Amino acid sequence: MRPRVLWLVLVLIPLALVAAAVAHGQNKFRLKLGAAGKVCVDCHPDFAEKLKSKFVHTPVKAGECVGCHSPHASDHGKLLSVPTNSICLTCHDGVIPPKAVSTHKVVIEGNCVKCHDPHASNNKANLLKAGNDLCVSCHRAIGDTVAKVKFKHMPVSDGCLNCHNPHASDKSPKLLNSPVPALCVQCHKPDSPRFARQHVDYPVGKANCASCHDPHGSNTGGILFDTVHAPVASKRCTQCHNAATAAEPFATRRSGFELCRGCHGAMVNETFGKARVHWPLVDKTGCLNCHEAHASRQKKLLNVEEASLCGQCHNDTLDWQAKLAEKEKQETAAAKGRPEKGAFTHDPIRKGGCSACHVPHASDSTHLMRQPSVVEGCGACHDWLKHNSHPMGEKYADTRNRNRSLDCLSCHRAHGTGYRYMITFPTPTDLCVQCHKQLRR
Amino acid sequence: MPRALSALVILFGLLWACGGAAAAEVARLRYVTAIYLDDKGGGMRQPEGVACNDKGTLIVADTGRGRLLRYTIEDRDVKPAGEIQAPQLPAPIRLQLNSRDEVLALDGKERRIGRFDAKGAFKGYLSPEGVPAPTSIVPRSFRVDRSDNVYLLDVFSARVLVLDPDGKYQRHLPFPAEHGFFSDLAVDGRGAVFLLDSVKALVHVAQRDAKDFSPVGKSLRGHLSFPTSIAVDGRGIIYVVDQNGGGVVLVGRDGSVLARQLAMGWNEGLLYYPSQMCLNDKGQAFIADRGNSRVQVFSIAR
Repeated sequence: MRPRVLWLVLVLIPLALVAAAVAHGQNKFRLKLGAAGKVCVDCHPDFAEKLKSKFVHTPVKAGECVGCHSPHASDHGKLLSVPTNSICLTCHDGVIPPKAVSTHKVVIEGNCVKCHDPHASNNKANLLKAGNDLCVSCHRAIGDTVAKVKFKHMPVSDGCLNCHNPHASDKSPKLLNSPVPALCVQCHKPDSPRFARQHVDYPVGKANCASCHDPHGSNTGGILFDTVHAPVASKRCTQCHNAATAAEPFATRRSGFELCRGCHGAMVNETFGKARVHWPLVDKTGCLNCHEAHASRQKKLLNVEEASLCGQCHNDTLDWQAKLAEKEKQETAAAKGRPEKGAFTHDPIRKGGCSACHVPHASDSTHLMRQPSVVEGCGACHDWLKHNSHPMGEKYADTRNRNRSLDCLSCHRAHGTGYRYMITFPTPTDLCVQCHKQLRR
Repeated sequence: MPRALSALVILFGLLWACGGAAAAEVARLRYVTAIYLDDKGGGMRQPEGVACNDKGTLIVADTGRGRLLRYTIEDRDVKPAGEIQAPQLPAPIRLQLNSRDEVLALDGKERRIGRFDAKGAFKGYLSPEGVPAPTSIVPRSFRVDRSDNVYLLDVFSARVLVLDPDGKYQRHLPFPAEHGFFSDLAVDGRGAVFLLDSVKALVHVAQRDAKDFSPVGKSLRGHLSFPTSIAVDGRGIIYVVDQNGGGVVLVGRDGSVLARQLAMGWNEGLLYYPSQMCLNDKGQAFIADRGNSRVQVFSIAR
């Protein structure tokens, strides 16, 4: 044999072996020609209609149903060859970058079908709905806001994907394509005279635009958040910051509560006149632990809505409330329609109103309660004498502890206990015999 | 046979030693007594601070009544030893005793530390001198070490200030960059400073000559609700008081949780929104049981 032919044979044989192995791998079920997909349509005729869609998933178009489904049997739903929440990743494993800063929850959970039709659709990328309709089907609150607001942000109306990546972002939180302000300055040029004038010459091109502006639109001009701090609204930035021409224009004139005291002196003095202050108010961050300095969606310039705000530090209380709510749900379901008396959780907490009982800044009472007396505090909502004649108040000592008088918290806990009526023992009998020991059985 | 026997004896010896060491690590709080009254038979109201020493002195910050109470302790016997009127400190919340039996008290309203001599006379406020900028100081808590140096938890400027007994600045330790809110600190016999992050339920430590804090193990969130007080005993066991959960979590120096003790309730031996805890070298633990308007005394059994 001539050497050139020999070389050719030596190269071709391994190539043929590799090709055979690949073919075997692709046709692992040893299906006849067409059985990988075309045969399926014989029994699934509705698919013929589906295949007429504008966008068809590549394996479906290629008649490769076995790319995802096992034709005989499977441990997974819909005869899928791997679990439902990971099958898409067998081909599309790059949707989540290795060092993602933020990830869409449905993507992490492998719930791709929440947005995509795995077979075909008339929308690009096999999406279930076109444009923003798909996003707002889950993110309803944002959808409602965008629809209702007086001042709209055009890129939002045009499409959420102008700013967000639907799968994950390796650059920014909140699935943003780029971090703020880099994202914003792609459209809003900070060096334009109009931009500079609107921002009182402060170099905000490098600041956090979302500390003042609601990117989804708002009812306030300049899409500022609906609650605007007065100095911001009147463009008197120097009340808090150095001059725009200073070396550090954004540095504040003072730190923590000392800055806010300049205008809110009366409130700060009243706060410091109380025996107990809410400690975060006097730390380095001060008022900004709870309030926004510039603008907010919330009333009183709160960072977020009240329950979430308090829960940022007091997450033990929020976690406990979630457990109680779950228990109440389970017991109500088990009751099968029979009326269940007595709540597990306190109504103000359920509605996110911690400030119904607590003062967020300072109080003379422990736990920053509004009222010095527990009886008076509870009595602000509960006319307890109408449903309970148990003696209560300073005159009546708790038999378990000579230094405590009887009040509502002798029997109940305001944040719930895991028992109905928020009592501290499983049954009223168990509770009553703690003091009325002669009645114990 | 004798060789096998000796091997067995050695093995059992080793096992016994290891078991003994492990058991010694776990301390148990045993209820001794509860203190309700002052020397005139008046009750306490929501006390938040306690200070103790090895000489049998106990000072209680009767916060709700704006006064300090002195007691003497002999074994299980606690005797009232007078009241320290403190109009300068209307809401005392944290206490310490130094080696000269002076009482130092942090007031929650004034946010200043007052000093009382051994007889209970007010000697003025502790005013830190020579502190580097920022000069604003808001103490949330403080500790006095065996040399009477004062460790001040300055939440306004996010640092622990170390002052000499006269209040002169010695050094400071910045708070760790990532933290929730620090409510208390402790100093052990070796000079290590412990910080308690209530929000993250995490203890941080800075060894004697360290310039920064580092976390001690992981968050204790699964073991407690909202810790607000910390103490360290002579063996290095860290006691973390769970205010909202009514209990004490014992943590080893490596951050391992050794035990959770006590529970929420009104009866003696139980806690209801406890505040400061104090340990002495006699193996006694005192807890300001704020919600129950009393101070409870425990012995630390090992």
